[in-house]
Amino acid sequence: MFFAGVDIGSTAVKVVMLDQQGKVVGCETTRTGYRGAENAWHLLKGLLAAQTGVTPEVWGRQGGDPAKLPVRVVATGYGRHKLAQAHRQVSEITCHARGAYHLEPGTATVIDIGGQDSKVIRVAQGGTVLDFAMNDKCAAGTGRFLEVVAGALEENVDSLGRLAVASNQPVAISSTCTVFAESEVVSHIAAGSSKENIAAGLCLAVAERVAGMAGRIGVQPRVVMTGGVAHNRGVVRALATMLGLPVEVLPDPHLVGALGAALLARDAFANNQPKT
Amino acid sequence: MAELRYRRLQTLNRLPRLMGNHYLAARYLRYVRPVAWITSGAPVEIIRAMGILPVYPENYGALCGSRQAAGTLCQVAEARGYSRELCSYAKCNLGSLAEPRQAPLGGLPRPTVLVACNNICGTVTKWYQALARDLRVPLFLWDTPFSPGELTDGGVAYAAAQLREMVRFLERHTGHKLHQDRLNRVMDKSREASRLWSEIRLLGRHRPSPLNASDLFIAMAPIVVLRGTDQAIDFYRELKAELAGRVAKGEGALPVERYRLVWDNIAIWHKLLRFYGQFLDHRACFVADTYTGGWGTVMEGDDPLTALARTYTGVFLNRGLAYRASQMVELVRDFGAHGFVMHANRSCKPYTLFQYDIRRMVTEQTGVPGLVIEADMADPRSYAEEAVKTRIQAFMETLDG
Repeated sequence: MFFAGVDIGSTAVKVVMLDQQGKVVGCETTRTGYRGAENAWHLLKGLLAAQTGVTPEVWGRQGGDPAKLPVRVVATGYGRHKLAQAHRQVSEITCHARGAYHLEPGTATVIDIGGQDSKVIRVAQGGTVLDFAMNDKCAAGTGRFLEVVAGALEENVDSLGRLAVASNQPVAISSTCTVFAESEVVSHIAAGSSKENIAAGLCLAVAERVAGMAGRIGVQPRVVMTGGVAHNRGVVRALATMLGLPVEVLPDPHLVGALGAALLARDAFANNQPKT
Repeated sequence: MAELRYRRLQTLNRLPRLMGNHYLAARYLRYVRPVAWITSGAPVEIIRAMGILPVYPENYGALCGSRQAAGTLCQVAEARGYSRELCSYAKCNLGSLAEPRQAPLGGLPRPTVLVACNNICGTVTKWYQALARDLRVPLFLWDTPFSPGELTDGGVAYAAAQLREMVRFLERHTGHKLHQDRLNRVMDKSREASRLWSEIRLLGRHRPSPLNASDLFIAMAPIVVLRGTDQAIDFYRELKAELAGRVAKGEGALPVERYRLVWDNIAIWHKLLRFYGQFLDHRACFVADTYTGGWGTVMEGDDPLTALARTYTGVFLNRGLAYRASQMVELVRDFGAHGFVMHANRSCKPYTLFQYDIRRMVTEQTGVPGLVIEADMADPRSYAEEAVKTRIQAFMETLDG
């Protein structure tokens, strides 16, 4: 039996598969696009094929009936209710907490910045959720914010971070609205500000929003960061400065939610086995 | 989980008729009696005792919300220059005046006078001033001082003095006189309705709870609008008897009650069944709430105007952070709640302002977690379905441990 966590986020689909012992045997990511759940099923079939030697077409012909799969699937992320092969749906908050705690057992706070959500999660011993705060219905402080404004600089989210750490005087980005922030960037470009300083200003703006949210629930060390935006060093550095605490980035931070989902699938399976 | 069904309270079936009659009476009796538009925290007892018909624009805002008309009316008001940030009840009312054809019931019957009390918010003062200007109708503003701590005698005396002025204002503009014996009778009826209402709310302490907050939200219309009448008393007697019957049979509002929660802030009227239904899926019942408690205070004291001044000045929205937090702590403890849900209501600033501090204080003092949901009481444009769903699921997973 295998265990898969499928995280269908707003930007990317992430799949992590574990074996019976809890070892990661495979992981895949792709863009979510219009058919997020289908894309996820496609990745899952590929991982299953690699482990079992049965071709993806065979799993496809069976229609992905969850009862017939040699894998227990927990789906998370915005598309979690769409995945027909899932045995259970769990919120991203619980999954990120579980995944982060597994990778770093001293974790007390998880900061997850994804495509359209950012969250701060207080984690209890064992990786369960004590408390959480999430951004309001607005893209400020999310990956989407950085993606949009990075476009104005002809950069992407990761390269924006590399630029930001080379800045000596970040510009001020006062607007929390993504669209207005983009026009602020345009005016900074027109005023001759360097790319590095604009990039740093944008990373600070995201960090400010997230740090404000963190203040609502209180931050305890150790603080780890998950989600795709953790690849952006500028945001990580700005967050650490604002929180006054070291912020550790977990390896493959974008996969932590899917890993947590896979671990929860394995936990549930273990709990349902007859006791010997 | 589709088999989980809400147990509907039979008494609530009487409401459409009861409230329909209220609005119908206002529509036709206004030809023979003066009509006052008043805020939810205004001293309706005086108005009723003077034979003036009270009409509540805030109740109308809730009605627009539950009839899915608020989004359109808010847009109408915004197109006329009112801010998107303005209270959606105010915008429903102002929008209904501009576009009566888009408004439920064709809008409210025109007022003879306006009475606003700032015990619930500062918005009502400007809202009613705009009404007074547009409708060319006299306005009385009752200023009830905010109490950071306990109510002071000076504050109560200040509020009571204005009530005497208000009586003169109403007499002057309607030609109706206030008779002491009538005021006493209305106040007795008001006390009786408030007493019944607070007893009904306390029934939520039973396990399982015979009522869910969404029942209270539906059932609260008469305590707001018909306070001081026999109809309100009859309705709540019947409701209380039905709930007592549930308690005697050990029957809950939910078929299975796994979690007990406390609700904070005004209901999300435009999603009443859908929103609260999500908690039903998790077998979670809102056994108590802060909002409907606003009408559960029984007036005390011999001098009617002082009793009114004390009660209306002391409403929870006119009180400081410590009072608001202790109110939540008591509800969590007394009702044996596992958690609480706070509606960060874009419209209602005074209600929403302290929420993050209250949330922290309540969790520190009771150990139970709280969730903040962002929405609006009437305007559906401020509601993000998926985001709300994710937060509720994550919160319920937290309770599952």
